[in-house]
Amino acid sequence: MRLMALRLIHLWLAFFRNSLSRNMEYKMNFILDLFIDAIFYGSYFFFFSVIFSYVDSLGDFSKDAVIIFLIITYLTDSVFVFFFGSNTFQVNRMVVKGDLDLLLLKPVNSLFFISFRYVATYSIISTILLSGLLLRLTYIYPAPIGFINYLVFFISFSMGILILYSLEFLVSCLVFWYKNFSVGGWLCSELTKYSRRPDSIYSGTLQKLLFSFFPMAMISSLPARMLIFGPDYYMLLAQLFITTLALLLTIFVWNQGLIRYDSASS
Amino acid sequence: MIKKYTAVLKINWIHALEYRANALVGVVAILSGLFIEYQIWNLIFLSQGVESIKGFSFQELMIFIFLSIMVGQLKSSWHTSGEMIEGIRTGDINKYLIRPISYFNYHFMMFIGVNSLYYTVYSLLLLVTIIVFPGLLFPSIINIIGFILALSISVFLSYSIYYIMICCAFWFGEVRAIIVAYNLSMIILSGQYIPIRLFPDNVLDIIKLTPLLYLVDFPVSIATGRMPIEDWGFNFIVSIGWCIIMWFIGSLVYNRGIRNYEAYGS
Repeated sequence: MRLMALRLIHLWLAFFRNSLSRNMEYKMNFILDLFIDAIFYGSYFFFFSVIFSYVDSLGDFSKDAVIIFLIITYLTDSVFVFFFGSNTFQVNRMVVKGDLDLLLLKPVNSLFFISFRYVATYSIISTILLSGLLLRLTYIYPAPIGFINYLVFFISFSMGILILYSLEFLVSCLVFWYKNFSVGGWLCSELTKYSRRPDSIYSGTLQKLLFSFFPMAMISSLPARMLIFGPDYYMLLAQLFITTLALLLTIFVWNQGLIRYDSASS
Repeated sequence: MIKKYTAVLKINWIHALEYRANALVGVVAILSGLFIEYQIWNLIFLSQGVESIKGFSFQELMIFIFLSIMVGQLKSSWHTSGEMIEGIRTGDINKYLIRPISYFNYHFMMFIGVNSLYYTVYSLLLLVTIIVFPGLLFPSIINIIGFILALSISVFLSYSIYYIMICCAFWFGEVRAIIVAYNLSMIILSGQYIPIRLFPDNVLDIIKLTPLLYLVDFPVSIATGRMPIEDWGFNFIVSIGWCIIMWFIGSLVYNRGIRNYEAYGS
């Protein structure tokens, strides 16, 4: 088990080196991707600044808390893109074109390979910038934020990324059933919109749903809560349970998809 | 000549019908987007205890956002612009250069054709809304006519703006990042999720100097009866003026670009 983990880490490092050298060949794309990120962040910031011109707080989240939440949302997006962003939506193209055949022949776990093959190296820059900004904002936040908050936040944040990965990958896997599911990206961006708003705007059954069956609030909102309002170990345990379940479901769906895959176009 | 372009429209209409899942995702996107906005504005109206915000009652605001999301989707282009950029990059554009066909008109028909399925589905959705919420949309027949005209202008204007950006590919090769950044910023700035008139005054003053006002806000304001009929004439003249300006700039950029074009990919 330990050996396998080490092997996969080495393999990922090789993917990283390869992706970095590929990306450095197209330096302009590197800059343009950062430009897109900046526009995306700016748009969301503007959206909430308009909202806050009409209201002082969104439930538990004050304006300062929402800004921290936004930075966490951007950071989630940035880290997700770094590890998985260039891979999840390759699934549709690979299945449609039959390129998956080549991948399946490789002596490596196919799910690992397809999930981690390309690393969006440009995201390192946005991740560093956003992390710095988050540290600064939490430092000047009116209420004290202790070390334990950061620790629990980090665990919750990592699980949030895995939940996001599972959702995006599961949607991508629909191609096995629909033969071509090019709208997967669009569908995912609509579904993940729920994670880009603080959970305090939702109420009742919907809020419960977002913390359980459709765990969008566990992607950014819960980590933000852990950081700002302190650890909630019950919710952390629930997040661990959901994350495990989501990952198991991803493996199951991927295997079921492979059974259905008939390599039609290759 | 018209026959030539209606044939393009027909082909793309048939092609769009093959991917009915797109329309389904489109409907999910509208309803889901509206649902999230409903949650936010519901919280704002309740917490502030107000009956209206800048002249919008809660129900009016929801209808306005609903229609804005719909118009926003009809005027946006991911598919056609992607294909046009790819064409310039790979040399596929050559086939338009040797045929008696206008590059602008051909892709404009393609732009409408690709979105044609959405027009049908959204019209049905609109019809249901009119029946369920009588009086909130289209106060009179003239508003329906005005809306259709303003929507046509919005679609043409939007395409003309895309066309200018796409033609930059003659110099820069890959301008996809500009299109993505434009699409992302337009979601907020054109007023798809928050009506433009709720923006801060200084931002609104700048937007009034740009064609952005005529992409979403103008058709939706006519449909909801929010714009007095005596203001229509002036706004129609200005929006048509913007269409001519954008079309002219597009033609200029295209003509310059085509001289620069060396058909590398062909």
